[in-house]
Amino acid sequence: MGLQIDAFAYANRLSRLHPAYKAGCSLLALCACLVLDRPLASVIVLVLMLALTTVWAGVPWRAVAKLLFAEGSFLLAGVLGIALTVSPSPTPGSVSVGGMWVGVSAQSLAQAVAVFLRALGSVAALNFLALTTPVPDLLEWLRRLRVPEVLVELMGLIYRFTFVLLDSLGHMTLAHEVRLGFASQRATLRSAALIGANLFIQAFRRSQRLEVALRSRAWNGSLRVLPWQDAPRPQR
Amino acid sequence: MKLTFRDVHVAYPGRETPALIGVNIEIAAGQRVALVGRNGSGKSTLILTANGILRPQQGAVMLDGQPVQYDRRGLAALRRCVGVVFQDPDDQLFTANVYQDLSLGPLNLGLSQAEARQRVLQAAEQCGLSHLLDRPTHSLSGGEKARAAIAGVLAMTPRFLFVDELLHHLDPWVRREVLRLLCDLASAGCAVVLATHDWALVRTWAQHVIWLEAGRIFRQGHPSAVLTGPECPDLEGAPC
Ligand SMILES: Nc1ncnc2c1ncn2[C@@H]1O[C@H](COP(=O)(O)OP(=O)(O)O)[C@@H](O)[C@H]1O
Ligand SMILES: [Mg+2]
Repeated sequence: MGLQIDAFAYANRLSRLHPAYKAGCSLLALCACLVLDRPLASVIVLVLMLALTTVWAGVPWRAVAKLLFAEGSFLLAGVLGIALTVSPSPTPGSVSVGGMWVGVSAQSLAQAVAVFLRALGSVAALNFLALTTPVPDLLEWLRRLRVPEVLVELMGLIYRFTFVLLDSLGHMTLAHEVRLGFASQRATLRSAALIGANLFIQAFRRSQRLEVALRSRAWNGSLRVLPWQDAPRPQR
Repeated sequence: MKLTFRDVHVAYPGRETPALIGVNIEIAAGQRVALVGRNGSGKSTLILTANGILRPQQGAVMLDGQPVQYDRRGLAALRRCVGVVFQDPDDQLFTANVYQDLSLGPLNLGLSQAEARQRVLQAAEQCGLSHLLDRPTHSLSGGEKARAAIAGVLAMTPRFLFVDELLHHLDPWVRREVLRLLCDLASAGCAVVLATHDWALVRTWAQHVIWLEAGRIFRQGHPSAVLTGPECPDLEGAPC
């Protein structure tokens, strides 16, 4: 999923648009959701951002829906706690669970729905930014906004090496799979633990090799590079 | 221009036996050198020492007869001349896209943005990467990453290029491209030192072979003189 988001960020109709516009849109929508705090406003923002992402930017709606669905499931699990009320005495429609009465009141349900929509609208607003803006663009823009250099560099390195680490993870998972590492629940648990530990060690070793490679290129403490907007862009 | 090791000893901290023992070599401009030897024989250590990442405990590394100074300025001067391409391209591509990565070295050398850009375009052209400059690094193929790693070093216009087992992951077609690139570089006057296990390549490509065994120079010289006798793994018959 993460890789897909990245692929769309480079290959949508808005990828060449200045990130400030897209970030502006996204933040504005986010603020609208958070400040207005009305279910109706949230729904409007949600629909609007989905429309922008699919119609304006041309990201396939299936991908957008899939992403929103994944995020929505998390949110749903999160608002469950708001929807359910727990009390020591029975209330209409509640059931007894281990001596406590768990139920749903109209008020708590309305509140849960409102929070869910508000969060979903905000998420859709951020999805728009994530699906339409290449990360290097965003970093360059942050740099221009005078966000501290260290932060921007760090974000860039994390972005770059997320993919490298995902690659290692893929190889390791495969290596366990061919030796039946996921054949049973027990094996799966053990494999996951081994892979996790290994991944950590690999990441550490890699960081050492990275430092050597950086020093070999006369690195002197800051990762200065040319702004990527200046890169020549061949017509493809 | 000449890069010389004189009686170089290098030990890693906490290790009893040194990784390089009394190494004497001399590499001249435009030379094609192969660095061979078993795993753990000290090839990578030699390369790191040439670039000043490791400092000899004894002996000296010299550029044109001048011992390398291990202060900030001395190291910058050394790294301007001696470039290293490591085994795994993912260890040396730092930024989110190719263009930015190539600019890292030139900017580290203190060049202006305009000069750096010039260097980047030139190195990309040399390595056939001009059409990939705006691509995200993680979307490159293995061969493209390898060429990007080389270009990142070439943008610093080194006079000595050390390449550490880079070819091993590459398919024969991409390998050929990369080798051609290295040949062109040598013709243009940049010494190329290739650490490799590919003996067939060493025999045909190299003008000079440095053969390490357990940190010592076992033999060195022209491949026809050095790569003979029962020690050569490729001269035995088929394994089965
Ligand atoms: N970072 C390190 N710390 C300690 N010992 C090392 C380190 N790197 C290499 N060595 C040791 O130094 C010797 C030479 O290693 P290396 O130069 O990597 O050989 P090669 O590249 O020929 O395979 C080996 O015995 C190896 O175990
Ligand atoms: Mg090595």
